[in-house]
Amino acid sequence: MGQDAVLTLDGIRKSFGNVHALKGARLELRKGEVHALMGENGAGKSTLMNILQGAVGDYEGEVFLSGKKVDIRAPLDARRLGIAKIHQELQLVPELSVAENIFLGREPRTRLGTVDFKRMYRETQPYLEALELPVKETAKVGGLRLGEQQLVEVAKALSLHARILIMDEPTSALSESETRKLFQVIRRLSAEGVSIIYISHRMEEIFELSQRITVMRDGEYIATVNTREVTKDDLVQMRVGRAVSDLYPFRETSAGPVMLEVERLTFHPPAGSARKRLQDVSFAVREGEVLGIAGLMGAGRTEILECLFGMHPGHTSGVIKVKGTEVRIRSPLEAIRHKLSFVTEDRKGQGLVLGRPIGENMTLPLLRQLSRWLFLRFRDEENECRKQMESLKVKATSPATVAGTLSGGNQQKVVLARWLMMNPDVLLLDEPTRGIDVGAKAEIYQLIHRLAEQGKSIIMVSSELPELIGNCDRIVTVCEGRVTGEFMRAEATPEKLLSAATFRSEPACQS
Amino acid sequence: MSVVKRTIRIEEQGREASRATGAWLQRVKRLQSVFGLAVIITLASVLCVRNGENLFLNPVNLANVVRAVSENGIIAVGMTLVILVAGIDLSVGAILGLTATVAADLMMHKHFGTLGTVLAVLLIGALIGLLNGAVSTKLSIQSFIVTLASMSIARGIARFWSGGTGIPITYGNEPNLAPVSYSLLSERIAGIPVPAICFIGISIVFAALLRYTRFGRYVYAIGGNETASRLSGIRVTRVKIAVFTICGVLSAAAGLIHAAQLNQGSPNDGIGYELNAIAAVAIGGTSLSGGIGTIPGTVVGALILGVLDNMLGLLNVNNNLQMVFKGLIIIAAVVLQRKK
Ligand SMILES: Nc1ncnc2c1ncn2[C@@H]1O[C@H](COP(=O)(O)OP(=O)(O)OP(=O)(O)O)[C@@H](O)[C@H]1O
Ligand SMILES: [Mg+2]
Repeated sequence: MGQDAVLTLDGIRKSFGNVHALKGARLELRKGEVHALMGENGAGKSTLMNILQGAVGDYEGEVFLSGKKVDIRAPLDARRLGIAKIHQELQLVPELSVAENIFLGREPRTRLGTVDFKRMYRETQPYLEALELPVKETAKVGGLRLGEQQLVEVAKALSLHARILIMDEPTSALSESETRKLFQVIRRLSAEGVSIIYISHRMEEIFELSQRITVMRDGEYIATVNTREVTKDDLVQMRVGRAVSDLYPFRETSAGPVMLEVERLTFHPPAGSARKRLQDVSFAVREGEVLGIAGLMGAGRTEILECLFGMHPGHTSGVIKVKGTEVRIRSPLEAIRHKLSFVTEDRKGQGLVLGRPIGENMTLPLLRQLSRWLFLRFRDEENECRKQMESLKVKATSPATVAGTLSGGNQQKVVLARWLMMNPDVLLLDEPTRGIDVGAKAEIYQLIHRLAEQGKSIIMVSSELPELIGNCDRIVTVCEGRVTGEFMRAEATPEKLLSAATFRSEPACQS
Repeated sequence: MSVVKRTIRIEEQGREASRATGAWLQRVKRLQSVFGLAVIITLASVLCVRNGENLFLNPVNLANVVRAVSENGIIAVGMTLVILVAGIDLSVGAILGLTATVAADLMMHKHFGTLGTVLAVLLIGALIGLLNGAVSTKLSIQSFIVTLASMSIARGIARFWSGGTGIPITYGNEPNLAPVSYSLLSERIAGIPVPAICFIGISIVFAALLRYTRFGRYVYAIGGNETASRLSGIRVTRVKIAVFTICGVLSAAAGLIHAAQLNQGSPNDGIGYELNAIAAVAIGGTSLSGGIGTIPGTVVGALILGVLDNMLGLLNVNNNLQMVFKGLIIIAAVVLQRKK
């Protein structure tokens, strides 16, 4: 045990029923360091951090804080010990304001005992400023974008002035520039002596930020290494237990006939909605083509997909053509009938029914095919589910496993499985690899590749430019609801994409 | 949805998630409410003995219990569906009062036959349910409010219809008497009261509907995550309207049985029945925030309430104290449901 260890976790074990999530996990954290925690989906990272944060009371093993043995059985214990956590799955109250969420449960009081809103708002500001988060303290959290919500979680954790800060995939919904800001904050905190446990599937971030890395596999401790002394390949080898080659499969662009055509798509969000406007968005995707949409957060990328999927009927105008014929898509059901499918970015809010089995989650859009008259064909359903689970390598014992008990990355795979099961023509993917480990990422890229080869059209939104450039045949950039550029794979570079996506208030963007 | 409700739901799903790892765990959970029922039945059969005679286990008494449970049970089945889609229906008691009154009036004064009466009354139930569903979904008003309003409306119509007094039912073949075949609803077949047979049949049908059909899946999915359901192509509005309609029809069915049992249709009957139904659903382990629950659970919940009522009656407990006991038992039962 190092002398300057502020926190030591040793021999931590935890089972959920017959799932052994942790089988002797270990972690040693030094003062003021950024310590990365890595491992595949379902390795047990979140579970370990939940224990540390007091959310899981019954575990085996020992926790030492500055050399003293402590007992963390409830969230309040953790808070008292100076431990705060930013959750992988957001835990904010949508109906409350940003400030109310940050101070939830410890609101400043006036002398009369009522909530001192003025002080609360005033004290919220510095945190928003530190993160350069352009939202009002009084704004309802439910109306914010996923990325903004994630930053509110960060602000909430900051406001606790913790000595140990746990960040479980804090950047999974952030844009490049927001990630930068977050990194600055992290560096400042660590200089002030705060120790940070940082969980991420993004290698670049880990190399940039962390001093040491602990790798976990299947609930077990594998190794702790100094970041400077390892390479990416070493890490992948340690995490997966094998090498992953060829992250992005090479594919000849085969331009088939046009599958989906969008002309002058315009969207005026209803008053009070946090959705962004779209103005005259036009593009086309061919059969077997992967089209990327690049842009900053709030540029309208998600809105394009939402409008295509019929989520905003009555506020959308423009022409959508599928295989050359004009179609009207006024609901998700109609979109599905035209063989569109949509993997949303917010899997908890829009994707999964967390309390139900993953099998039921997967077959929801497909039940008509999977039933005879009104009755479900259980055997066919189970076979379909098992097939998909196998092909996407979902880590769960059976289709009857409750969706909420899966690790974040595996939940994402379940959402993907659902939309692949219906054998769509057009696949709309919004941040499809959010929270997915390298191994699985490579699998998903392979999958995209395979689907394109089968002649399907894929429209993919991602904040990771390398991912777009690696996978897409063509990339359009959007800025403030307008298309600002188009690049073929060969000519796309991160710099070009970024500058096209940040046209912002220049005249070119306005015209 | 209120803040509190949303937070509770998140907690519940978390809890549900960590608990229900396998089908066998689910089964243990279901057994638990059966266990609660067993405890209460044992209590009743031990306590209700007078002069060496077991008043509770007496066949006639048992038949009475089942008969008394049936009305509430049938309504509670409909309520379960509504609560599963995260709604609530407060109008069920008023529908019962209205339909019982209308049934009596149609037969006694309007020369309706049994079949005509049954159909007309079920149609009225369906219509009110349909309106409940349509207004709450299309105008996006919470079902609590909508059904609070329709409760008042239905009750008002019932009183207006009959001039505020009950309409007695007498059977016979003359024009101004009710058809004898209607009295079947208060008879027994092979010793089992007909209302109980209806209750059992309805429970089986709807348990199967939830378990084996697409519709059932949709109900659970909508209650669990409405947005995700809509994005999966489920016609959420339609399913919800159907659920409220079913609840209306079942309340009307309870109204028909009620009229036959009492030999009258009174516009003032069924007051507070919505609370009994909700209690049965809650005791049966259904989450009031939707998405979690079963019909067998509700059946057991209704039985627990019924046996309790019967026991307290047999023990000659003061009427008002009975209410106190009932309240306490409801809380205890729901807490027991939750604990591992
Ligand atoms: N409440 C629970 N009930 C049952 N199993 C659970 C529960 N929580 C976690 N698990 C299981 O424990 C294992 C570890 O999950 P955990 O969320 O810790 O993984 P992770 O390393 O954070 O993965 P990811 O990178 O995908 O977020 C998984 O197999 C998961 O299914
Ligand atoms: Mg995780």
